[in-house]
Amino acid sequence: MNAEGSLIAAVLGITLIKATPLTYAALGGVISENAGVVNIGLEGIMAAGAFSAVVASYYTHNLVLAVVGALAVGAVFGLILAYFTVTQGADQIIVGMAINVLGVGGAAFLLAAIFGQPGASPEVTSFSTIAAGLPGNAAWPILFLRYALVWGALALIVGLQLFLYRTKRGVHVRAVGEAPHAALAAGIDVFRVRYAAVITGAMLAALGGTYLSIGEVDLYSDGMVAGRGFIALAAVIFGRWTPLGAAGACLFFGFFSSLQIALQRANVPAQLLEMLPYLLTIVAIAGFIGRTRPPAADGIPFERT
Amino acid sequence: MRIVAARLLPVVLALAAGSIVIILAHGNPVQAYGALLQGSFGSLQGIAETLAQTTVFIFAGLSVAIAFRAGLFNIGAEGQLLVGALTTAVAGAHLHVVAPLEIAGCLACGALGGAVWASIAGFLRARFGASEVITTIMLNYIAYLGANYLVSGPLRGSALAPETAPIDAAAVLPPIVAGTRLTAALPLAIIAAVGLWWWLGRTVGGFELRTVGRSERVARYAGISVTRVIVKTMAISGALAGLGGACEVLGLFHRFNAQLSPGYGFTSIAVALLAQSNPLGVIVSGFFFGVLSNGALSMQAFAGVPKDLISVIEGLIILFVALRWAGAQVTLHERVSESTSVGDGAVL
Repeated sequence: MNAEGSLIAAVLGITLIKATPLTYAALGGVISENAGVVNIGLEGIMAAGAFSAVVASYYTHNLVLAVVGALAVGAVFGLILAYFTVTQGADQIIVGMAINVLGVGGAAFLLAAIFGQPGASPEVTSFSTIAAGLPGNAAWPILFLRYALVWGALALIVGLQLFLYRTKRGVHVRAVGEAPHAALAAGIDVFRVRYAAVITGAMLAALGGTYLSIGEVDLYSDGMVAGRGFIALAAVIFGRWTPLGAAGACLFFGFFSSLQIALQRANVPAQLLEMLPYLLTIVAIAGFIGRTRPPAADGIPFERT
Repeated sequence: MRIVAARLLPVVLALAAGSIVIILAHGNPVQAYGALLQGSFGSLQGIAETLAQTTVFIFAGLSVAIAFRAGLFNIGAEGQLLVGALTTAVAGAHLHVVAPLEIAGCLACGALGGAVWASIAGFLRARFGASEVITTIMLNYIAYLGANYLVSGPLRGSALAPETAPIDAAAVLPPIVAGTRLTAALPLAIIAAVGLWWWLGRTVGGFELRTVGRSERVARYAGISVTRVIVKTMAISGALAGLGGACEVLGLFHRFNAQLSPGYGFTSIAVALLAQSNPLGVIVSGFFFGVLSNGALSMQAFAGVPKDLISVIEGLIILFVALRWAGAQVTLHERVSESTSVGDGAVL
């Protein structure tokens, strides 16, 4: 392969790798917001997921249990968000901010408490260490396992799009987010659907965090999520609250992160490129590129009256 | 008395939950909180440092609180604080006038920087209905990355680290207690809080702001220009956060670097919520977070409990306040649904 070809391949590869954690979190945001609950706590849940995957892997040396551990912690955060916003009708933005503080702060606290060292955890069993330990040297099983979470994200995009727009349950989710009272009249259990969507969404965000810690590298370090939860939130809006749109936005943002590596050699400051997702979201939300409209009942507590 | 108890409830609950966390982490809550208080109040030096750290929480807390009163959720205090700190540092390095004037000029530049930054969100909200929640989050990152770029490039004033040149000696806020970091910034923050309290409760401008916060529809019927109030509120909110950043530079750091705030702008949400957005209450809750922030290190050193426990307590406080507010918190939603119905909806 010539140099140009390998550069393009590298850019595409890095795009997928950078887009994967964003995609999980953004799809989590999409399903939650489609049911009418804004999850502004994606950042904190990603941190909690990334950290708990490392803890589970540290104690069990088992990838499956690591992922399950992260999903469980994600579900707990989802349950907290759902209980406070759906059952208690508390402000979704405030509860989301609390979750961010709890997720990021809790991970930092436990990192010091469990491993006795601030900053970063020891290296643990990860997707790359397991893949490297596969017998033989067949390329594709290694690639499959090494990037299992990347392939998983791609499958999830299609799956969630089909679920939301082609299945009865998906229609229920969107109905609850658009017109909860009408949904209730049609016999849909608004509270149950919202709980399910919020918890599922939080689990997906935790999976995004898992990819950051034991998918891309093999440890957790403080500040590892680095605003990706908010970029995912941006992708939800930029992608107009659909799975395909949000995933497209994540790929687009991932593409820019990969370009950074190429453009840094051309002396384009990295910070200015990193700003792009945030700038574009402001442009999008101000309506400069077509109307962006969230689900009608997004952000509003449901009261049975 | 019952009102005070009700306001303290989230704090008590959060500290109680914090004790459980400490026990689970094999620590001793009494020892941990004792070490925290010892660090915050154990010496004149400690008390002065606690008060010095209170300053920024008051300014940033006021920023979030005044926005809340107008029904706006400013999550962007962090970015506004950074922009204010940066403009202050640049002014402090270039103004070259006599001391009182230079300090005043620097503070004005900090307030202006924060105000301009917040006004972007205010304008987009008023003109296009763009949710200030989203725009201020995005502006935080743009501010951080932009400041980072500026201090590593065009504004870099140090060969050793990505930071600006030091401010003039004339711009430095001197300590009011010798040998400590406590400066006139604290009285300034208290004056700002009292001034804001008076303005909100006793002037037409404050009344308009609160009316918009209660109901945009009612405000419109009363002939109040909702657009103008939103833009003005965001500008004041940003100016307060900018002043917080300015005081950090003039009083503590004497130059700017992009790591200057460990998330003061986010903690300020807890400060404002705990004070129920009352400016006088912000003085108290800002002090509370100053105590936590200053005591955390000695808790870690002398009780072996990681300092990040205070983030956990902060998160729990926000959660418990949110719970207590449930139901009473309709204003934020009312605003969104109302303005949507007249065609300039806030996009969440």
